[in-house]
Amino acid sequence: MYTGSSREIIGKWEKKNRVVYPPQLPGEPRRPAVIYHCRREIKYSKDKMWYLATLIKGMSIDQALAQLQFNDKKGAKVIREVLLEAQELAVTKYNVEFKSNLYIAKSLTGKGQYLKKIRYHGRGKFGIMEKVRCHYFVKLVEGPPPPPEPPKTGFDQAKEYVQQLRNRTIINAL
Amino acid sequence: MAAPTQRGLVRLPLRVCLQGAESLLNPIRLAQSSLVVPVRTKKRLILPPRVKTKYTTPEEQKEKMRASGIVIPHEKLERSITLACTASIFDPYIPPEGDARLSSLSKETLKQRAVQLKQSTISQLAIRKVKQYDPNFSSKTFPEMAQKIFIEAHDCLTNFNKDKLHSLVTERCYPEMVRGNRYKTIRWSFVESLEPPRTVQIRHFTMMNKDNLYGQVTVRMHTRQTVVIYDQFGRLMYGAEDVPKDVLEYVVFERHLVNPYSSWRLHGKIVPSWAPPKDPTY
Repeated sequence: MYTGSSREIIGKWEKKNRVVYPPQLPGEPRRPAVIYHCRREIKYSKDKMWYLATLIKGMSIDQALAQLQFNDKKGAKVIREVLLEAQELAVTKYNVEFKSNLYIAKSLTGKGQYLKKIRYHGRGKFGIMEKVRCHYFVKLVEGPPPPPEPPKTGFDQAKEYVQQLRNRTIINAL
Repeated sequence: MAAPTQRGLVRLPLRVCLQGAESLLNPIRLAQSSLVVPVRTKKRLILPPRVKTKYTTPEEQKEKMRASGIVIPHEKLERSITLACTASIFDPYIPPEGDARLSSLSKETLKQRAVQLKQSTISQLAIRKVKQYDPNFSSKTFPEMAQKIFIEAHDCLTNFNKDKLHSLVTERCYPEMVRGNRYKTIRWSFVESLEPPRTVQIRHFTMMNKDNLYGQVTVRMHTRQTVVIYDQFGRLMYGAEDVPKDVLEYVVFERHLVNPYSSWRLHGKIVPSWAPPKDPTY
C-alpha cells in the first residue's frame, strides 16, 4: 500500500540521475558512480534537519548510518532510511560493486510546502501557525571518503600574507 | 449606384466592415474598470470543511436523483483489445543435447536432423495451416529472412530506435529486451554466421476463439557475435570489444496469421537446460 501522495513535477535532483556518460576508453581511470537521492515533504523543520545534514557531510556511508542510528532527533530516522534506500539503488541500478564503498558528497535540506493554521491566544489574539515540511537531498559517490582538509596553521597564514605583499604592483613606475 | 473601383481602394462587403461594430455596442464597455474583479486562484493545500449536505452516500444520492427525475444515460465502457502476440512460447522446442558440441563434419547427424523436420507431423500440419494464410511461406527461405529480422532488431536495440523495434519484435519480447537498458550503452555487432540458419520447429496456436491463429517458428542459428555493455557512467559492464563469441541460439518468431498486415516478429529465445549462460556480468 502506497501511502505517500504522488508529486506530478519531477524535481531537478531526480533528473540528475538521468545523465548517461559515453563509454570510457580502456586507458582512462574508472569513473566513480554518482547517485542522487532525495525524499520530499518530510514532516520536520528544514532548520532542524540542517544540523543532521551537516553532521554526515563528507562521511563514509557506514559511519553516517552509525551516527544517525544513535542520534535522538526525529530527522535522524528519516535520513537513515533515505541513505539505506540510496545504498540499495546504488547496488541494483547503478552498478556499484561494494555497498560500503560510498561516501556522502553532498547533503542538503530544502523547504517543503507549508500549511497554515490558526493558533488561538488569549484576549482574542491569534497567531498563524505554520506546519513545516522539508525535503532532504543526498549525493552519494563511489569510492573512499576524501581526507579532511588540514586546519590552517599560522605558517600557512604567514605565507599567504607574504604572497599578497609580493602580488602588489607599483603603478607609474619603471 | 456602382462606384468605379479606384486603384488603392478596396470595396469590401458590408458584413466585413461591421465586424468590429458589435464590440462597440457591448454594455461592458460602459462599466468602470474597478467593477471587474479578477478571480483569486491561490492554491490551497487544505480545503475548508464542507457544510453538512443532506445526502452524502451514493445510495441516498441515487434515490434523490430518481425522485427528482434526473436521468443519466448509462454509458457502456467498452474498449476493444487486440492481441497481437501470444504470452509465451507454446510447446517449446527441446534441442538435442550436445547440439553444437558435435562436429558438423559428421554427416549422419546432419542427415538425421534434416529428416527430423520433415518427419515431425505436427510441424507439417502447421506449415500447411500457415501456407493457408501466407502462401509465400516456405520453411527453406524463411530462416534467411528470420536472421535479417534478428540482426535488424539488435541494431535497433543499440540505437534505441523504439518505433522500429516494435515492428520487429513482439510485445511479449520487447520488455525482455529493453528492461534495464535505458541508461546503458550497448554495442552489438554480428560478425558472421557459422552455419546457415535452419527452421527447427513450426507450431500454430489459437487464443480466445478458434479462428484466432498464431504461428510460431523456431529457427536454429549458430553465429558469431560481439557484445559490449557499458553502464550509465561509461564503465565496462559485460563483454569485451572486438572479441567475437560463437553463439548457438534457438530463436522463436511469431506472426498473427489471421491479420493480413502482420509480419514475422522475434518472440523469444529458448535456452536449453544443458547450456545456461556462462559469462556472468562483472
